[in-house]
Amino acid sequence: MATNMEYAISVLVIIAIITSATSVWYVSTVVGDVGRLIDSVADLADETAQLATSVGDVATSVANLATATAQDLTSITSNLTAIAGDLTAIADRVTEVEGTLSPTITVVGPWSGAEMDAFLPILERFETLSGINVKYRVLRAEDLATLLPAQFAAETAPGDVIFMWAWWIGDQAQNGHVLEVTDLIDAADFLPGTFDQVNVTGEVYGGAYTGKVKPGFWYRKSFFAAHGLTPTTVNSTWADFADLLADIAAVQGVVDPIVSGDGVGWPLSDITEHFLTTFGGAQLQYDLIAGTADWTTDPVRSIFEDDLVPTLGNFSLPLTWDSTAINSWWQGDYGLYFMGSWITGMVDNATDLGIITLPGASALVLPADYFFIPAYTENADEAKELFSFLISEEAQRLQTAQGGHIATNINVPDSSYPAIDLMVVQFIQDYAIVPDLDDTIGGEFQTTFWAQLQALWDDPTKLDDVLAEIEAVAP
Amino acid sequence: MRKNVPLFFSPAIILVLLFVVYPILQTLYLSFLSSSGQFVGLNNYSEILSRKAILDLEGFPKGPPLGALIHNAIWILIHLPLSMFSGLALAIVLRDVKGSSIIKSIVFLGMVTPLIVGGIILQYTFTERFGIITAFFDILGVEELSTTWTARANTALFALIFGSVWLWTGFSMIIYSAGLATIPKEYYEAAKIDGTGPLKMFRRITFPLLRPLHIVVITMTILYDLKIFDIVFVATFGGPGNASKVLAFEMWLQAFRFLNFNGAAVIATLLTLLTLVVTIPMIKYTVSR
Repeated sequence: MATNMEYAISVLVIIAIITSATSVWYVSTVVGDVGRLIDSVADLADETAQLATSVGDVATSVANLATATAQDLTSITSNLTAIAGDLTAIADRVTEVEGTLSPTITVVGPWSGAEMDAFLPILERFETLSGINVKYRVLRAEDLATLLPAQFAAETAPGDVIFMWAWWIGDQAQNGHVLEVTDLIDAADFLPGTFDQVNVTGEVYGGAYTGKVKPGFWYRKSFFAAHGLTPTTVNSTWADFADLLADIAAVQGVVDPIVSGDGVGWPLSDITEHFLTTFGGAQLQYDLIAGTADWTTDPVRSIFEDDLVPTLGNFSLPLTWDSTAINSWWQGDYGLYFMGSWITGMVDNATDLGIITLPGASALVLPADYFFIPAYTENADEAKELFSFLISEEAQRLQTAQGGHIATNINVPDSSYPAIDLMVVQFIQDYAIVPDLDDTIGGEFQTTFWAQLQALWDDPTKLDDVLAEIEAVAP
Repeated sequence: MRKNVPLFFSPAIILVLLFVVYPILQTLYLSFLSSSGQFVGLNNYSEILSRKAILDLEGFPKGPPLGALIHNAIWILIHLPLSMFSGLALAIVLRDVKGSSIIKSIVFLGMVTPLIVGGIILQYTFTERFGIITAFFDILGVEELSTTWTARANTALFALIFGSVWLWTGFSMIIYSAGLATIPKEYYEAAKIDGTGPLKMFRRITFPLLRPLHIVVITMTILYDLKIFDIVFVATFGGPGNASKVLAFEMWLQAFRFLNFNGAAVIATLLTLLTLVVTIPMIKYTVSR
């Protein structure tokens, strides 16, 4: 029989067994946790090692970058130094080349459009020959007259070679604004009196380029043929000429026998000069320019009274613009048109053109295009070189070949002219050549002359007033 | 702050002194000198004023040319009332018209047309066989006025003046249009209730209330007439003879065609004096208000 003791021992054994089992379980659990902890620690150690490796990599990268940047900066600095050196070398070279090159000179002229296109090849030829660059600038004489006085007062100029009215060049030469060029010119190579207008007390201040002759009244051959009209010649009588005007007036649709161009009045001065040189001879033109002939007395007055004024009934009033007059005349509204030889470039068919001078004419006006070198040019030597070229046979031969120009240099051969211009050149062979009256005197005379002739065309009975006004401003 | 006022004004004052006052004084000084720079007193003035181009009393009573001074006066006498009243009439007529802004724009075109272009247009307008005015008189059978106006001494100046009326009327029309908008409509309604006619309303309400604008229009028009140059230069070049010369054109001729800068300075001085005669009353009137 089990005793209480045995029960107690059994309970203790059971408790011991349970406790042992529990302890074993617990210990095994703790051991598991420790194992996991060890694993975690190991993982952590791995990660820490990886992190350390990464940090090392980053540090290496930063170190590399720093090294590379330092190298790049050094490289950039050296490159910049090299570039600066190159630029300095280039600048030195440019300065060196500039020293060997000729400067660019500027030519100021009145021609634009087709006329400019015909002029530029001459400047290009000069560039080729001389190695000097030339820039062309368009400014009409009217614009230059406003611009140049202020520029000259400031001792500057818009160009190195400037085309301008001859009288204006002479006037400014007296004020010291124009370079003297006497040594560049051999007058024997040019039409007589070519440089008279730019000659100031024996010294020449301007050059004469090509010119445009004012040969007389132009007519359309086809118009005359269509209406059975016969052009008069220089050998015809005054009565023949009057008959021709009457015949033209009788043509159906004709407004007036002769059209007057441009409201400003300069074409009227050309007509008047043609009458003066026809009835007074070339010498009268020179006398009027010199101021030794009087406008209010004979022979001038009688030429106006007996020849010009009686003819004025055949002229239209001055039309608005030249183009209006030319178009109207070309369409047959008028029979004759007094104009310069440049008209050959203004009509559709220049071969249809014919010329009529007044019967008995012995002299014709040939105004040249004049140019000068301002005293304020910074390229005087180059400008003088161009000056010499422009008056040369070669330049004028090239220009006349373009059409519409007549050479002032007598060495230019006839073969250089287009057919229609050659006709004009041959036509003027039998006439004395005289300078343009109002272009030569210029100034107040020119403006007054134009305006008073307008008044005469308007009212021929004002002849005495007109001549008195002109005489008041004549040389 | 107040002591800084001169400082703020100084840039403008310097510019005015440099570009307005100095040139005026220099021009005045130049007008008393000969071309060689010697003082000649009033010689230049007597020489310029004795020129027929400036004053041609022999022209009376024949007609133009009468000299630039008289031509400017004629210009003002004809151009001022014509452009002023035609502008006023247009402004009144077009006030309540629907689409009037289009018509006003067309009238105002003359005002924004460059005078050089305007001169060319008016030259054609008055040219025989090409112009609308000459064609009109041709239809009417008025032979004298169907020829080219700008080529005739008796008509050249008037062609320019009538042409400038067309070019300038837009100005007075716009000024008066703005002025009419400021007159309260109640005035007209009250007058209407009282049985006042349109003519009397114009005389008693419209015209008197536009008084400040009359001053502006008159002053500006006279200044425009005194400085007129472009259309003369383009359309007639002062001709035929001296029949359409005006002072500004003669000043240009003296300076840049005749190279007589002292003579040009005389005319410039005379023009400045004439301008002051016109502008001083206007400034006084403006200040008094």
